[in-house]
Amino acid sequence: MASRKEQKEQARARRLAEERARAERAQRERRLRMIGGVVLGAIAVVVVAIVISSGGGSKASGLQKGTAANKTATTVENLLAGIPQSGARLGNPKAPVTMTYYGDLECPICQDFTLNGGFPQLVSKDVRSGKVQVVYRAFQTATRDPAVFKTQQVAALAAGQQQRFWNFTELFYRQQGAEGSNYVNESYLAGLAKQIPGLDISKWQTDRNNQTLANQVATDEQTGTTAGVNGTPTLVFQGPKGKTAAPSASVPDYSQLQQAIKQVT
Amino acid sequence: MTAVAGQPVRRAGSTDRRLWIAILVLSLIGIGIAGYLTYVHYEGLKVLCLSSGGCETVQASSYAKLGGIPVAVLGLLGYIGILGSLAIRGELGRIAGFAIALIGFGFSMYLTYRELFTIKAICQWCVSSAVLMTILFVLTAIRALRQDPALA
Repeated sequence: MASRKEQKEQARARRLAEERARAERAQRERRLRMIGGVVLGAIAVVVVAIVISSGGGSKASGLQKGTAANKTATTVENLLAGIPQSGARLGNPKAPVTMTYYGDLECPICQDFTLNGGFPQLVSKDVRSGKVQVVYRAFQTATRDPAVFKTQQVAALAAGQQQRFWNFTELFYRQQGAEGSNYVNESYLAGLAKQIPGLDISKWQTDRNNQTLANQVATDEQTGTTAGVNGTPTLVFQGPKGKTAAPSASVPDYSQLQQAIKQVT
Repeated sequence: MTAVAGQPVRRAGSTDRRLWIAILVLSLIGIGIAGYLTYVHYEGLKVLCLSSGGCETVQASSYAKLGGIPVAVLGLLGYIGILGSLAIRGELGRIAGFAIALIGFGFSMYLTYRELFTIKAICQWCVSSAVLMTILFVLTAIRALRQDPALA
């Protein structure tokens, strides 16, 4: 039989243990609530990040229609109108400086260069004034399927048979679809062709079967590989005396293009 | 090492110490991987669409950046954050580490999904990072849920 004193001590110990358990429980609950809040917060951050990231992808919305398409067509028309074209060449064939542009129409970095890099300014200033000519060479990178690559490149060259290669190319870059979404099909290519003012669609369709154009794509790729091109956009400037220069930035701005021009002239 | 973490050696359970060390090691490896990818992004290679598949394709894709910031940089910051949280005493550090790892884990899962189904190219560096983040997420979660032995 425990003494009175012992019983008292036991009761005290029990009370203390209960208190400690209560405190621990409260602490645990508080921690779980905090963790719950953190989980919700973290999920919110991830969702926002995914929305931003996917938004970056959906900038590339594919073929435009209605007002958007008209606006794009006008922009391209303003950029190119009055500049001589022949095949994949833009500008005066006697221009002292040639910029060879190795590109893939599905490559988002090429799109970035063509739309936001130094390219638009180069065209509206140096190409328009007859100082620089641009030659586009097909080089497969972002396009996964070689057959699709050939088809889309030949479609552009077929527009080039009517001096509208660059209209097609600009429209393509401006309406690039999401990566890997297999957006390039007959209706996409024909949709672009229809946006080009003055393009004879039936002649364009016939020219798309022209073997010479398919050979041109193969030659372009060989030329690129021989020249050591391993990515797009790759830009090579060549001056009147054969000096060459390549801007080191992947998406050069106008001043970097100017620098390259200075190096070769 | 233990002093930095604010874990008194005798009272901290050995499990807790092991967790702390594992998180330290994994976040250092993560800093290595993300640091390498950041370096490649800025110095080694131009960001181009490349003709060979794999990592270059992934790095050149539009998903390689988030609001203009390369995801490699975000990963680097995440690993540094987890490492830093180890130095913060008590609950705050544990929960901060867990929060960062959870965000990293969620975003890594999204990026892996993009690699598999959108870009259709796999970059072994990115996969390693995703695996690391997953393990870190589990470890930091266990650490956050466990009673802090220093307070018990």
